[in-house]
Amino acid sequence: MPIEIAKPKPAPALEQNSSDPAFLKIRDLVYRISGIYHAEEKLYLLTSRCARRMVALELTSPAEYLEHLTVRGNRDAELRLLLNEITIGETYMFRHPAQLDALRKVILPEILQAKGVHGLKRLRFWCAGCSTGEEPHTLAMFLLEEKEKLLAGWTFDILATDLNDNSLEAARAGIYGEYALRSTNDRLRAKYFKDAGDKKLQANDLLKSQIRFDRINLRDDNKMLFQKGMDVIFCCNVLIYFDLASKRRVIQHFYSNLMPGGYLFLGHAESLFQVDDTFRLVHFTGTTAYWKAPATLPAGGKK
Amino acid sequence: MDSISTAPAILQPLLDMLRLPLEEIKIEKVVDLVSYDGAIAAQCLRLANSPLYGRREIETVRSAVMVLGLDRVRTLLLGLCMNRVIPADKWVIEPNAFWRHSLGCALVTQRMARKIEYHEPEKAYLAGLLHDIGLLVNSVLYTEGFRECLRIAAEQQAPLHVIEEQVLGFTHCDSGRMLAEHWRLSKELVDVTYCHYDLSLLAAPGPLACLVHLSDLLCRARYLGYGYDEIMSVDLGGDAAWQILVASYPALGNMDLVRFTLDIDGAMDQIVATVDSVFGSKNVAVSAAT
Repeated sequence: MPIEIAKPKPAPALEQNSSDPAFLKIRDLVYRISGIYHAEEKLYLLTSRCARRMVALELTSPAEYLEHLTVRGNRDAELRLLLNEITIGETYMFRHPAQLDALRKVILPEILQAKGVHGLKRLRFWCAGCSTGEEPHTLAMFLLEEKEKLLAGWTFDILATDLNDNSLEAARAGIYGEYALRSTNDRLRAKYFKDAGDKKLQANDLLKSQIRFDRINLRDDNKMLFQKGMDVIFCCNVLIYFDLASKRRVIQHFYSNLMPGGYLFLGHAESLFQVDDTFRLVHFTGTTAYWKAPATLPAGGKK
Repeated sequence: MDSISTAPAILQPLLDMLRLPLEEIKIEKVVDLVSYDGAIAAQCLRLANSPLYGRREIETVRSAVMVLGLDRVRTLLLGLCMNRVIPADKWVIEPNAFWRHSLGCALVTQRMARKIEYHEPEKAYLAGLLHDIGLLVNSVLYTEGFRECLRIAAEQQAPLHVIEEQVLGFTHCDSGRMLAEHWRLSKELVDVTYCHYDLSLLAAPGPLACLVHLSDLLCRARYLGYGYDEIMSVDLGGDAAWQILVASYPALGNMDLVRFTLDIDGAMDQIVATVDSVFGSKNVAVSAAT
């Protein structure tokens, strides 16, 4: 029987020093592989996420952890676990008010104007990789709230897809606790949710009926080809798990899934740099999105 | 223009100093500048002794400069100079918002200059810092009209220069150019103040004007605007300034804009902290009623 050697206790998360060069290498690795970027001043976030993994692996030095991410046989699995840590807590309703502002003030008026000309008063949204449903439920509430205002006379549908059956089941059930609802005000809670016991709320029938859930693998070319006529696609922190070739493929699909003038939203720290150059990156106040410029638009960009 | 044309004596040497890279600035020179003006020296000492910097007993200007750091001191100097130029009751734009935008733009312009390997990043910093001096002219000379411009712009979440054009018939870019010429700033800096919104005003906009134009847009899109959130939708890569720059500075084409934006967000906390420590933390929201 091998002798158990007592390992020194891993340092608690907070004691990890962000300036350790190994963390900079991990930062660069995460950026290169996933497209998620941590600015200098946000490095401490990455450090604390790494620290959690280091505790789990009983590692003491960032250099050791870097080794696990780069040269060990299970490096892909470990990177995935780290990315899970990085994106954890990203999902609660109304997580990105700047995105909703951009929709309300710029994107929807733009699309309504362009589509109104043709008399097709219908909007299509797609949450690709909707996980447990916080995002499509947020979007549904937002659109319902605009129904009498901006969207008067218009209809919309929301497609929410994920690969994971458990996530989809949870999304369909629409039962959420305080964390998911932390930014949802009382008025919206009362209007769109009902009590589900155990301090939880469940999406009511009105809210649920706005969303169509489906299982779609973004790598499934055949299924991807069928999603046509989208106006806005949300795909937050999903592509970070894809290798470059698959990422490119999915982005190309999204591009053809979108109507000309449509928009793609990614996670707030996700970059498509060197992944795609067909979309145009557009800055809105406090957020960015990728734009499928209409073919008639001359080079020189949007105004 | 005369009422604001009497620039404080230390302005010119200060501008000269702002043109230098931080590491080339001689601390003695800064101490001289600070000591030249009693009020400014007192302000430096007060700030250095504030709890922000650890409540040490700072008694000399030299140690105050050391404690605060050159970067903060030169910001403080410029800020106090401008406060001298603009009487307190004439500030229409909230000073805190003005400095956040100006310093934010200075930092972003400098960072972008470094990214594209522009040969004088410190000059880029200065250009970003001074691009909006026309706002101060409008505050002093057209106080009521300019107040109305800000109120309408905030209410409509519209670009300030568009409203200025409608209400005043000219913009802070026009008045900025006049002040910049009056202060005998370099031709490049005059151009920056004049055309940072609209590059087409110049036959051949230089790299500084293009850099400031892009930085100004980015700052306004990242909550470092004029104290109100504008409705923005900007395709920086499709902007004329981008096209002009990328032709001479191909490194720009290799810049990950999302990453650059996140870097700015990261630096923003620092900018806000600097402004708050130098100019006092105030509510930067534009009050429509005032």
